[in-house]
Amino acid sequence: MIFDIGHLILLTAMALAAFGIVTGYLGGRWRNTRLIQSSFNVVYVVAALVFAATVILWYGLLTDAFQLSYVWNHSERALSPFYKFSALWGGQAGSLLFWCMILSAYGAVVAYVNRDRHRALMPYVNATLLTTSLFFLVLLVFAADPFKRVGFVPPDGQGLNPLLQNFWMILHPVMLYLGYVGMAVPFAFAVAALLSKRLDNEWVRTVRRWTLIPWMFLSAGILMGSQWAYMELGWGGYWAWDPVENASFLPWLTGTAFLHSIIIQEQRGILKVWNIVLIWLTYFLVILGTFTTRSGIIESVHSFARSDVGPYFLVYLVLILLGFLWLLFDRLPLLRGEHSIDSFTSREAAFLANNWLFAGIAFATLWGTFFPMFSELLTGQRISVAAPFFNQVNGPLFLLLLLLMGVAPLLGWRHTSLSAFRKQFTFPILAGVAVGLLVFLFARSFYPIIGLAICAFVVATIVQEYVRGVIARRATTGENALAAVAGLWRRNGRRYGGYIVHLGIVMIGVAVIGNEFYQQSLSVTLARGESAQIGRYELVYDGMISERKSNRIEYHALLNAYNLDSGRRVGVITPQRNIYDKTPDMPTSEVGLHVTPFEDVYVVLNGWESGGASATFTIYINPLTLWMWIGGVVLVLGTLIAAWPHPTQRRSEVVRSLAYATGDD
Amino acid sequence: MHRIKHALLFLLVGALAFLAVLSPGNAELAIAQTDAASSSTDVRMTQNSATANSVTPNEVNEVAKELWCPLCNGVRLDACELKACEQMRDMIAEQLAEGWDKEQIKNYFIEQYGPQVLGAPPLEGFNWLAWILPFVALAGGGVFLWRTVRRMVTSRPQEAAIAMDGASPSVADEYSRRLEEELKRYG
Repeated sequence: MIFDIGHLILLTAMALAAFGIVTGYLGGRWRNTRLIQSSFNVVYVVAALVFAATVILWYGLLTDAFQLSYVWNHSERALSPFYKFSALWGGQAGSLLFWCMILSAYGAVVAYVNRDRHRALMPYVNATLLTTSLFFLVLLVFAADPFKRVGFVPPDGQGLNPLLQNFWMILHPVMLYLGYVGMAVPFAFAVAALLSKRLDNEWVRTVRRWTLIPWMFLSAGILMGSQWAYMELGWGGYWAWDPVENASFLPWLTGTAFLHSIIIQEQRGILKVWNIVLIWLTYFLVILGTFTTRSGIIESVHSFARSDVGPYFLVYLVLILLGFLWLLFDRLPLLRGEHSIDSFTSREAAFLANNWLFAGIAFATLWGTFFPMFSELLTGQRISVAAPFFNQVNGPLFLLLLLLMGVAPLLGWRHTSLSAFRKQFTFPILAGVAVGLLVFLFARSFYPIIGLAICAFVVATIVQEYVRGVIARRATTGENALAAVAGLWRRNGRRYGGYIVHLGIVMIGVAVIGNEFYQQSLSVTLARGESAQIGRYELVYDGMISERKSNRIEYHALLNAYNLDSGRRVGVITPQRNIYDKTPDMPTSEVGLHVTPFEDVYVVLNGWESGGASATFTIYINPLTLWMWIGGVVLVLGTLIAAWPHPTQRRSEVVRSLAYATGDD
Repeated sequence: MHRIKHALLFLLVGALAFLAVLSPGNAELAIAQTDAASSSTDVRMTQNSATANSVTPNEVNEVAKELWCPLCNGVRLDACELKACEQMRDMIAEQLAEGWDKEQIKNYFIEQYGPQVLGAPPLEGFNWLAWILPFVALAGGGVFLWRTVRRMVTSRPQEAAIAMDGASPSVADEYSRRLEEELKRYG
């Protein structure tokens, strides 16, 4: 009964969303207050309805309503309530509902916050966000009904995919969706700007924060996904460039490019067309990513036809592609730049180069992801495009980008004089060369030397900027160094928060270089009491224990780890295997870890014999991996500093242009 | 401008028609498709059979690291847990015991399973496109940007004059004409 209501709610939300699109569009066009107000109301009501439908599905999952096909397929009685709750995004229909709920919640928040602002834009923003909601509601009603019945009431469900029964799998999708879906908001503002012909900087200024926050969630979500892959998949790595990962990474690339290029539009009034194209591209890649992961089109062209939602997505993608191009060409005469670029050694030019690299990496990634599909369609040959391809193509581009991250903030707007050049670059270049030489003494391979030297260079530029900022503040206010840093964040969080984000990226870069070039591995079979040595660690196998849990048996292998340098025992490493009752042929792995700032000792339990008398392990030494997760936290903090609203930042247009003229900001 | 709009409208109709034809066509293919990746793993994996010939799992993995599971997506052979991959690793152990080197073993697997085991498109035929296109696109974009910026830098003195009557329709027309021209050249 209640689940019929759930279906009915989705149907109502769909009809309402369609209505809201019309009132929003016409209200914006005719400037009719009542129509505009109605579009706001629709946004709120749709959000409430979709939320109600989600709650009903949650209720079904938590009360084991196995008469629902979705619950039957993705849950079971013995599943802990934690995972019953997260099973909402464990399957297709549920995750589409979750998508739609987050989108409509974003829509409601945007509408509420801007209820008295941006009068010309908001009706179109509402209409655009409702269009996306409408698409997902159509999917939920016609192709992927989360409230579909099995036809009888099965005694128990089939269980949640064991791979998804992991702590990070609860957080990671939520973060990813918050980021992914949130990118629809800046896109909606761009469309609103095009539709209302208000193509000045108003929309760009408004969306900066609405892009930063989803960007932060997306970054955190991607890193949490890496953490999950690292802990759960047991191949010693964190990123495999598989199509699902790429689907989340592509909008991140274009979104990051957008965050940078809107700065140029704000400061110099150029790149207007490019910014609109970038945010549209981000939105397009979000929908495309959802499409590829939901329809399985990359794994095989054929699985596309088996999926119920694939054709809907394809139609929608074609519509947003052509509809957007039509709108853009129609408004092109209104998108003229106000200034031009004055010099190659200006910050504008460096930002252009940044966008060029981001777009290049995004294109290479997109192309590589879809290449197996083209290959299969055109030549019939099945090809895999995995890490070797992406590392070779994207690796050098990422290095260039990293370098630019240090260079760009040191260049002045419009033009950099030779003396300023010398003043800005001497210390960072020295730092980079020093670290490069240091690495050269220890390990003579090309990429790590260059990579780590660039990382040092970037860190030095950031330190230099902070030191100069602090000195300048202390000279005027006389506060101590810590208070001066806080003052920098408060007065110019955009700039100094941005540097913190860059610092986080450098940390992630260091971890990637360490892992990629200095990883060691060893496969051994050990009888009880035997030991294996890798790097500066010795591991002694101490037998196995098993533990019965509600829906699985856990097998733990115990390894005593000793540090050979210090001769001390550093702890017990317990890699683990889980065998789930519902899927005994799909055992999952939890790696055993000993984490230090220098390296992780990472142990996978491959198998065992005679109840654990001997066991087979793969042991990895993953240098510097901890810095990836620390870098992630730093990145989030930096974004928060950059996005934090401060009264002092609401500067008038005059102050803004003054700041620009003096090279501040 | 109108021509572009009409072209887009035409494209839209064409694409939708194409989709309408495509969907039933693919449904037939789907039936023919078998589920290749459904074979699964056993926990009690042991690297047994060939290790007797003093080939250690480590040596096997040295080779397996450079090969990719032909059934999964983006999983390296040394870490793959499918039965089929286990057999492939046993095969590597046997070949190592017979004195094959890494290249010979890799070539054997490419012959047996196709280029999928490489994890990257081989440098031949159509696959060249996979490697070249990203750099062609990057170079094309770079040249375009370079020329645009250089034009801006050299035409700086006239900037003020243009900015003065930036709103006049003749300039807007001139701009859109130039953009259309460029689109024709680069698109």
